[in-house]
Formats: sequence, C-alpha cells, structure tokens
Amino acid sequence: MIKAENRLGLVFFPAYDWAISPTHPEREERLLYTQDQLKEEGIFDIEGISELKPDIATETDIMRSHFCFPDVKSVTTESHLISAGGAIRAARAVLEGEVDSAFALVRPPGHHSMKCVHGNRGFCNINNEAIMLEYIREHYNKRRIAIVDTDCHHGDGTQDIFWHDPDVLFISLHQDGRTLYPGSGHLRELGGPNARGHTINIPLPPYTSEEGFIYAIDEMVLPILEDFKPEIIINSAGQDNHYTDPITNMNFTAHGYALLNEKLKPHIAVLEGGYSIQGALPYVNLGIVLAMAGLDYSHVKEPDYDTLYSPQDEEITDYIHQLKAPVLKNYFDPEPDTERAPEGQFTIRHKNIYYDTDGIQESRKEHIMTCKNCRGLFYVESSSSVTPACMGVEIPLGGCKRCAEEGYKIMEKAVKSKKFTTVQLTDRVNKKYERYSR
Amino acid sequence: MLLGIDVGGTHTDAVLIDKKKGIVSRFKVKTDKKNLLDTIITALKEVTSGYDVKKITNINLSTTLSTNAIVENRLEKTALFISSGPGIAPSNFAIGNNTYVINGSIDHRGSEVAVLDLNTLQESIGKCKKENIKVFASVSKFSTRNSAHEDKIADEIGNDADYITLGHELSSQLSFPRRVATAYYNSAVWRIYNTFIDAITGALKNLGIEAPVNILKADGGTMPLEVSKKMPVESILSGPAASIMGIIALSNIKDDSVILDIGGTTTDIAIFASGAPLIDRDGTSLDGIPTLVRSLQNRSIGIGGDSTIKIVNDDVVVGPERAGPCMADGGDVPALVDALNFSGIIDYMDTKRSAGGITELASGSKLSPADIAEKAVNYAVKKIRAEIKKFLEEINRKPVYTIHEMVHGEKINPGKMYIIGGPARALSGVMSDGFEINVPENHDVANAIGAALARTTFETELFTDTGKGRMVMPNLDIDETVSRKYSLEEAEADAKKYTRDYLEKSGYRIDESDINIVESSTFRMIDDFYASGNDIRVKCQVKPGVVMHLHG
Repeated sequence: MIKAENRLGLVFFPAYDWAISPTHPEREERLLYTQDQLKEEGIFDIEGISELKPDIATETDIMRSHFCFPDVKSVTTESHLISAGGAIRAARAVLEGEVDSAFALVRPPGHHSMKCVHGNRGFCNINNEAIMLEYIREHYNKRRIAIVDTDCHHGDGTQDIFWHDPDVLFISLHQDGRTLYPGSGHLRELGGPNARGHTINIPLPPYTSEEGFIYAIDEMVLPILEDFKPEIIINSAGQDNHYTDPITNMNFTAHGYALLNEKLKPHIAVLEGGYSIQGALPYVNLGIVLAMAGLDYSHVKEPDYDTLYSPQDEEITDYIHQLKAPVLKNYFDPEPDTERAPEGQFTIRHKNIYYDTDGIQESRKEHIMTCKNCRGLFYVESSSSVTPACMGVEIPLGGCKRCAEEGYKIMEKAVKSKKFTTVQLTDRVNKKYERYSR
Repeated sequence: MLLGIDVGGTHTDAVLIDKKKGIVSRFKVKTDKKNLLDTIITALKEVTSGYDVKKITNINLSTTLSTNAIVENRLEKTALFISSGPGIAPSNFAIGNNTYVINGSIDHRGSEVAVLDLNTLQESIGKCKKENIKVFASVSKFSTRNSAHEDKIADEIGNDADYITLGHELSSQLSFPRRVATAYYNSAVWRIYNTFIDAITGALKNLGIEAPVNILKADGGTMPLEVSKKMPVESILSGPAASIMGIIALSNIKDDSVILDIGGTTTDIAIFASGAPLIDRDGTSLDGIPTLVRSLQNRSIGIGGDSTIKIVNDDVVVGPERAGPCMADGGDVPALVDALNFSGIIDYMDTKRSAGGITELASGSKLSPADIAEKAVNYAVKKIRAEIKKFLEEINRKPVYTIHEMVHGEKINPGKMYIIGGPARALSGVMSDGFEINVPENHDVANAIGAALARTTFETELFTDTGKGRMVMPNLDIDETVSRKYSLEEAEADAKKYTRDYLEKSGYRIDESDINIVESSTFRMIDDFYASGNDIRVKCQVKPGVVMHLHG
C-alpha cells in the first residue's frame, strides 16, 4: 500500500452541470478525464490523501475581496460560489491542521477577475484565490501571503486585487503578454505606489520548455520567496502551459508541472486554466497531486510526450536568462513610483477594462491614500457598459484611524450625492461589508 | 420454501421460510472454523428435519470461506500480470512474490498508447511454468475502457492456467489498484472455494435437495452458484449484509434510519436513506485492502456483549478485547452482558456468576459494583453513539460533483433505530437518545433470514465514445461498434438489454423491471473547438432487496 509523505487534501469539484457555452473551452467535461485518471490511479485510496467537499462561499466572503456591481447576486452563479467555496475548504483544511497541503481542483476559474466585477472576463467572474486569501487573513491571523501564478495567461485579476497590498506578494509566470491574452504582465508592472516590488511579472517567451520554467522558479521565484518569507504560499495552478494546450503556445509538461510544484511547495494550490482536457489535464493534475503528496511522479508521462515534446531552443534559453536581472531588481530594488502623492493625499489611477467573455467595457478611477501609518485608504469609481456609476470604498486590513474616518466620510458623501447606483463599503478593520443601492 | 444459511465467525444460523407461513424452522450452531463443511451440513440437516426437502425452491448461502482464506493468508500461489502505462509506478501494485510487470499502455479513452511487450510476457510465462503456478490474474490500466491487453495476456498463458481472472470482468469501475487486488485474490481463493462448493453440491445431492443455490455477496444480494465459481472473491464480507437484509425483511423501514447489529465481539452499524441501505460506491475493503467488491456501507466497532470490562485509572472501559464468552455464559472475565445482568436490565443465563465477576472487579478499585455496571453500560452506549455520529458525518460529507447535488443534495438525518443481535433488547432502553427504537421479532436470526430472502444484485456500466464508434460494457465482455449518432436513449436501452441477456445466460432469475439506470450522462467531446463525438456513460444495477417481507 502506498502512503503519502505529506497529508494532502483534494477538493475535487468538476461542476459537471455547468458551462459557459456548449463549445466553449470552459465546459462540463473539463475535469471528467482528470477524474477518470485520478480514480484509475486509486489516488483517493492512498493513505494520507483525503477528498474534501467544497464549502459554498458567502456574499461576505466575496465582498471581502471584490466590489461587485450592482451586487454579488447579479455577477455570480451557484457554480462560482462553489468554486470559491472549494478554495476556502482547501484553505481551512490546511490552516486547521487536517492536512499539510491542499489542492482545489475546481472550476470555473478566477484569476482574470479583478477588484471590481461587472461580469465575466477571461472565463472568470470572481477570483477564487483572492477570496480564499482574504478568508485566511480574516479567520486565521495570517498576514503575509504569496501567490505564485503558473497559469499561461497573466493573472491580471489577482494582480489588480493585490496591486496596492504590500503584505501580498504576487508573482506571475506567463506567456509574454505581447503574444497572448490578456496582453498584460510586463516587467514594468510592479505594484501600486504603496506596494512597489510586491507584484512581480515574469513574461516568458512562447515555446518555453521544462528547462525555462524550472530556471525561472530556481533563479527568480525561489530567491524572492525566500526573502519575502510568506506565512502561506498559494499556487494558481493553471495548466495551459502544456505543449498540447489548444489556446496557448508554450512547451511545458506534466513532469515539469510536478517538479515545479515540488520546488515551490505551496500550502494550497488552486486550479486555474488548462484546456487540453484529454491530452494534458489528466497527467498534469496527477503529477501535481503526487508531487504535493510527496510521492514519486517519475512515471507520469503524456502518451505523446516522445513524439510531440521537444527541448528548448538556445535562443529561448538565452532570452529567459536575461530576464533574471530585471525581475530580481523589480523585487529587491524597485523603481519608486514617481507619481506617488504626498502623505495624506490620494494617488489616482485611471483604468479601462474589457470583459472579453461578456463583451463589457468598464472604466474606473482609483484613489489610494499615501499614509505613514497604514496601507492607505482605497476607493474606486467604476462604471461599465452594463452598470452605471458605482463606488467601492475599502478601509484596509490594519487601516489607521484617519483612513477609517476618511473612508466613512467618502462613503456617506457618495451615498448622499445620489451620483452612484451602488456604493460598497469594505471595512476590514471592523469586518463590515455593506452595500448601499439606490 | 426458502432456505437461508449464514456461516458467521462465531455462529452459523439457518432458517427455513414458508412463503405463506413465514419462518417454520430455525437452527443455530457454533461454527467449526476448521470444518465449515461439517457445520453447514449439520445446519442443513437440522433445519430441514421434519420437512419435505423437495419443497425447498431456493437456497441462499452466506459463507466466510473466501474472507477467512484471505485474512488468514491461506492462498494459492498466484501469478499477477500487470500492464500499467503512465502514472504511479507499477511496482507499487505488486502482490505476493509472482508479480510480472509487462510494458504496454492504454489511456483513459481506451486508446492503445504502447503495445504489449510480448517478449517479456513470454519470458514471464516461462518463469511461471518453472514455478508450477496454475492460477493467474491479468490486469491492465483502463482495461474497463479497452480490455485488449488483459485478453492478450490470457491468450498467451492459454492452457497453462487452471484459472485466470481478467480484471475487467470483475467490475466496470475505475481503480487500477483495486482491480489488481480484487483479481489477485479472486484467483488466489479460486481453487479452495471451488473445492468447497463442489463438496456442498455433493452434500445437497445426498440430502436429496435439488433447489438452486445462490451465494450471498457483500452488497446484500446473491449470485448464482455457477457465477460464484468464477468470482469467489465476490463472496467476501457477506455476513453484515445478510443481517442488514434480514432487518429489511423483518421491519417496514421507510425513513432515514440507523441499523445496529450487536454481536458478541462487535457492533455493526449501517445507515438507511429513505428506507434503502446505502451502497459503498467504491467497493469494500478487506483487512485494509481496498477492493472492487460492491458492498453495503457498514462499519464495525469493537463493542459487543462479550467485550471485556476493565478499570483504567478509576474509570471503566469496555472492549475492544473479548476474552471468551461473558461470565454468565461460563467465561472467566466480566463482560458487557454481565454488567447488564448486574444492573437488572437483562436476565441472561447465570446472573449469579455475572454479579460475582462485577463484585470481584470492584474489590480491587475505588468503585462500587453498581457504579462499575452502570459505567460499563454507559461507556458502551456512548461509544456506539459516537461512532454513529461520526459515520453519519462522513456520509453527509461525501463529495458530490454537480452544482445541483451541491445545492439541492439532502442530508441523511435518521430518526429511527433498528437493533438486532443478542443484547439488542437489553440495550434498546438505554440507546434511545432521541431515536425511536425498534427491535424486530426474530431479530436473533436476522442474518439467516436476510440470507434466505435476499434477491439477486448486479451492476454494470456502459461506456461509449461515438467519435470512435465503440461501445463497451466491461464486465459483460461486450465490445460493439456503434454509429456516430448513437444517443443516450439508445445507450440506456442497450445497457438494460445486454444486462438482461447476460443475467439470463448466467442463471440469474430476474425481471427486466428490476434493472435500473442509476447514472446516465453524455458529454460532447471537443477537440480543438470541433465536436468529435459524445462520451456516453450509463450505469445500471439490480439493486438489493428481499423476495418477501416477514413483518405485518
């Protein structure tokens, strides 16, 4: 009988009755063959591996991370609440000591979902990892958390949510945004004025292979993590870097994903994208499960590995080696934000966001307070092609008295002004999450 | 008349049931573990004594023979051939000293990825010949999607084998490790089981009994004797299932309920949802080894009537040890039954010996004899209640895979409890804790009644890839060509038809209406954004049930 080295919790929720549309890559049977493979391997019988039933995320869980406009119900379905609840269940299992680590194999994914939510973009409505992370911070007295996003697409939603948060280190490895959706994740994106260097982007060239990914982990991700010393490491485990993925151009493998995972040692992994549902997912997921459980994964190999996988070109290797210096500089010695407002004032950022799945255009204006006592009050005015002007006000975790008072003033003024259809107040200090609608 | 025999670890029970009069004869005898055949023949003779054996229309037998052979490792030297493909290293699945890993691979769609390595196969068969191995098991990964490699291995072994078990014929379920273990044990007990069955067949003939014989399974159903000869492993752990089926016959259960079978050494717990027993969807475990043998969900806790009472740090503990029978029944160490006797809850055999034992236990402690008796009963009750609670939590926590089940799935919340077994009545008063308690008539032979009245059960799954135009039903050995337009409705109809044909051919006696579709799904398969066919899966079963009820 096989026994896991590390106790592993698996939240497996394939949502067999949910799809974006009948031929959309994000559809019912996405995890069907993964389940077949895991069952056939007898994964759930291995001593030390346990299968967990997802929680259902509450409105509060979602409002802790997002401003949903006009409200949570309008932009989510039950599937989203279960997917986010699956991530929360995985976190609970780890934080309460039931298991050493956990993997939430849930769908729909979430990492393209940003701070404000007007609909679905990049197959995502709400951000599973962000909701889980804030759940952890609210319930388990943790503060410093790292998210390493290994999906092939830039984790622009997660980046946006933690852009101003110096206690969250967000690292995204992805296919260069000049060649793939969503087009962002460049080296120059390194966090808001109060959190410079805590957003780290590693844009990899198309056709990066095992060698390139492992180099990026060894030479860039691990040294940064070692310095940041997070209390919890989360992996956004997208699997679309695989050489058979139909919508990307990378050259990664099941064995590579397992090795990456073994090196990263995440406390919690959450499935993101990955649309080669027959050729890659069964093997990649199996590899990750075995690696997380501390079991031998050397026999995990795709059926077409010998014919379709090829090692990396030298040119690509050189390119990736040259990324090391600027990536490390972004973390260890980031360029300061020259537009940062002086103490007690707001830095303003304008942002336009396109929701590709739902065809929604959002326009927003963000304000972040420069504060010597805390992370800084944050508020945002947002409107979109489906929802008129809304506002979100967030008094951050550990927010100071001044920022809290200012936050309530802004909220009250906004409600009185009748200019906004919805105002959401997120008071992380007092754990208050309220919505004022007209 | 229907005859049921349950050969248990301690006792063997037999009943003879008349379809109109109910139970007409019952017999209980201690099981002679060294000679099960003698025990069975005695039971047969005694229970039918005075009745016309020609009027017996059916015999159902539940026996521990295969279970004991596996647990006590009385197994024939068996060669295990596995071909496993990518995943967990195949060496992890070796059982015994004669496991041969043959290269070759079939993927989750049933496509051959790597051909079987015939050289190694031939070499390995040569080694088996030298070792004089006569029974084999052939198991490949995903053989339930495509059994070509298992079939090929069997072909190559050919006549060198007295028997060979093919993994896909045992079950349609996925789980390579369970398939490996189940196939291995099936072959390893094949000879001992068949010898035993032949002896029983002979004995029945001598007694003039001509009724067909069926063998009880862990899922509370039966299989024809001829089927059991090929699948002896299916007869393991049928004892608890016999008792559960007995309760179904004796009581009119309609709601969520807890079933307790309190024996000498253990208490078995089962849960019913809306009156039906829950089935373990993966298969039962024997001695910690997970198998594909379908089973009613139940669990055992080390507390029974003969569980020893001990004093640990001025506190009273009961079980899980059993040091022979209770003192009332001639034992040397006070047990739970003695505490019940002392407290006046029951009046069982030699109550004076019970009182003596409890009093003596008290003399060495700070507790009074009455305290000890009370605490012992409370301890047992508390333990059983805690186990029920844990079991229910586990059942209600079972993962589900659709949003519908996640949102609308109902929790099992039993309000009734049915208790059987020796100390059933004694404990019924103290067990309640909000439950409505029932102790059915004739509960002490519920196991034999369950055996006598259990119906046939069966399960199979149809799997179709319309892109490839292939339909398989692994454990029926069906592999057919279908059109690209093959629909879910056709699949459901085929699943029922092929199951009915197979069961008829194999000697099962069932109505087509007994075959139920339990799961049915179709997924549109897309390759790079183009529809490439449908993945259709239909699971059907003949579910457990009894041929008649004995309650009013």
